[in-house]
Amino acid sequence: MKSLTMSVARWFTGLFEVWRREFRLVFTDAGVLLFFFALPTLYPVVYTLIYNPEVVKKMDVVVVDHSATARSREFVRMAGQTEAINIIGHAADMQEARRAMASHDCFAVLEIPQDFAKKLGNGEQAVVPFYCDMSLLLRFRQFTVALTDIQLATGAKIAQQKLDDAGLVAQAIEPMASPIDTEAVFLGDPTQGFASFIMPGILVLILQQSLILGITMIAGGHAERRRRNRGYDPLWVDAPASAVVLGKTLCYLILYAPMLIYTLHIVPWMFDLPHYGDIWEAMLLMLPMLIAVSMFGQVLSGFVTERETSLLVIVFTSVVFLFLSGLTWPRYAMNPLWTLIGDAVPATWGLEGFVRINSDNASLSGQARPLHMLWVLSAVYFAGAVAVQWWRGRCNRVCQPVE
Amino acid sequence: MRSLITSLARGVRSLASRKIYIFMMMIVPMGCAWFMLDLMNEGLPLPVPTAVVDMDRSAMSRSVTRSLRANQFVEITDEAMSYNDALEQVRRGKIFGFFYIPYRFQQKAMSGGEPTLSFYSNMSLFVPGTMSFKGFKTTAVTTKGAMVVTTMSSVGVDSQEASAMLQPVVIDSHPLGNPWLNYSIYLCNSFVPGVLALMVLLMTVFSICDEMKRGTSPQWISDAGGSMLVALTGKLLPQTVIFSIVGVAMQSMFYGYYHFPLNNHLGHMIAAMLLLVLACQAFAVIVCEILPNLRIALSVCSLIGILSFSITGFSFPVEQMYGWLGIFSYIVPLRYYFLIYIDQALNGIPLFYSRFYYIALLLFPLAALPGLRRLRKRCLNPVYVP
Repeated sequence: MKSLTMSVARWFTGLFEVWRREFRLVFTDAGVLLFFFALPTLYPVVYTLIYNPEVVKKMDVVVVDHSATARSREFVRMAGQTEAINIIGHAADMQEARRAMASHDCFAVLEIPQDFAKKLGNGEQAVVPFYCDMSLLLRFRQFTVALTDIQLATGAKIAQQKLDDAGLVAQAIEPMASPIDTEAVFLGDPTQGFASFIMPGILVLILQQSLILGITMIAGGHAERRRRNRGYDPLWVDAPASAVVLGKTLCYLILYAPMLIYTLHIVPWMFDLPHYGDIWEAMLLMLPMLIAVSMFGQVLSGFVTERETSLLVIVFTSVVFLFLSGLTWPRYAMNPLWTLIGDAVPATWGLEGFVRINSDNASLSGQARPLHMLWVLSAVYFAGAVAVQWWRGRCNRVCQPVE
Repeated sequence: MRSLITSLARGVRSLASRKIYIFMMMIVPMGCAWFMLDLMNEGLPLPVPTAVVDMDRSAMSRSVTRSLRANQFVEITDEAMSYNDALEQVRRGKIFGFFYIPYRFQQKAMSGGEPTLSFYSNMSLFVPGTMSFKGFKTTAVTTKGAMVVTTMSSVGVDSQEASAMLQPVVIDSHPLGNPWLNYSIYLCNSFVPGVLALMVLLMTVFSICDEMKRGTSPQWISDAGGSMLVALTGKLLPQTVIFSIVGVAMQSMFYGYYHFPLNNHLGHMIAAMLLLVLACQAFAVIVCEILPNLRIALSVCSLIGILSFSITGFSFPVEQMYGWLGIFSYIVPLRYYFLIYIDQALNGIPLFYSRFYYIALLLFPLAALPGLRRLRKRCLNPVYVP
């Protein structure tokens, strides 16, 4: 009985020792400080500033007007009045327009056919070709929205004119001309801004990546100390592996509490990003994510043998994790292999849950799956991290110099 | 000449000495290329899971539901019982939008009461949100159009005339180069070379500053006969060759195996790739010249490498960014590669129009020359700051 109490007490002393040493390691290492504090502080600001104009506006368009009538000029004026289109000038023919596009003067060409006014006058349908550069889908999307608006507006205008002209028929048709109305509503990101869409997800990814970078750099430092001291790390705390893992995790959680509030609450507030849900519910979701990431980082640190290689092997994963998270390419469209790999990344679930709570105003109770998965990942990576630490502890004991 | 050969031999030896070089230079870029190409192989993430809320349950509302089911963009995975029910499904991530048919829809439509068909798209995930919007909008507009045509024919207007009256002007969009709006073409062509550029930056810095960290840099310089340029050439040229081969292999995956649009000569893209590798190496050398410290230089290159995915305007156009921020896109080599890809592969315009981009990539190696003296001085007195 006594030995049990003793070992429990030793376990807790070990945990506390590890926790204290980890704090010291973090605050005496400029590299780790940079990852833990500077990165999550500055990156969200820089990123949001890049995307902050939100909506693509006033894209340059050249017009080729073969019709050259009052009707076609009015049509071009209408196009120029939309938010997306900025008419920079007229070209004499398609050849000239193509040259303007090749010289990067415009992103699209609007070609009005010769029989435009004639067809409208005859009550036939006029088709107007629009040639658009496809380097960025965002531009095309914005153009499409504007073009649909023009199409509908011209339609309404001409129909009105016709009804006015046709007296008797108008009375019969008017109530039937639009028997139903349609209405589009955008949820989550009602302004359809780009920063408002991408930033909530990126913020979660930044938290994960900065934490992993810091943890692996600390591990790199440990490996280097061992190399310098013939396999023995003088800063090693001899404690049970589970106490080492939990002590470290506890330290990271305390350090990341203020960063969490800053990145997930203050940044959206500063830049007026969507921020609807209850912040404390989001924090409750983020707790298992940080635990899972801490454990995940400790598993990965088993592969790091040098302080700086942590940067090499972790940085590129940001791109991979971004795609796995489903922010750009939705997860329902992934094949089972990538879904499975995505499942194993804590940020995937953290991002999914946070975006829904933050942007869709969901409640935590609706996010059972992300929450469960994060705890499952925490448990799995805990086992992995314990194995890594156990192995390290063993190596360290073997190499311990005899007093 | 002799010193160049010694340097080259040293460079090749150091590449072969550590597994991390092979891993970072070949496995990571090729792995990422395969990952992204395979991930987005479908081109568009269709159909989007959505729901329909049919509050009317009439013949007309069922016909609207049927045409929704026939739509290529959306898939009705759920029949929600109410607006709140559907909204909850959105919040749980089960669906990405829903179509709402109001109560007494048919009755109002027949009696001129102008009922409203509403459709909700969740834009917190951009792509499925946009796709569901597109699918819903088409259905809503065609439903409306069909009704108008029917009512008009009933008063004696023939159907062709009715549709002309309904939509007198149709704008026919021609998305040049990517008529399928394929996401893979759009994202892989920019992100995969971006990963390669990131790797070039990191490995160049790593291989130069690692010499300083280990204190072997004076030996490195003396092997090159005291010339920094020869030493750098010896170290970096083998990497240039490997990275170029990897880069061209990526392009062969794009344009050969996956049949991405390549509307001009392949040589133009290969040249751009070789210049991209060279320019990124030069960029990393410049960073080393300014900050000759392994950790700091690596951090700076990681920062720039990752930020360049955003600042080069892969998804949000540079000209729409804040001006003072947008100019930074022109200091990263990746921007010029991206512009060349748009011109040469996607749009297939004459080489003449892209000349400045090629020249810009060529300027990076020249820009690295003035700082070589400073780098040499640091290499001769290496100080490792952890």
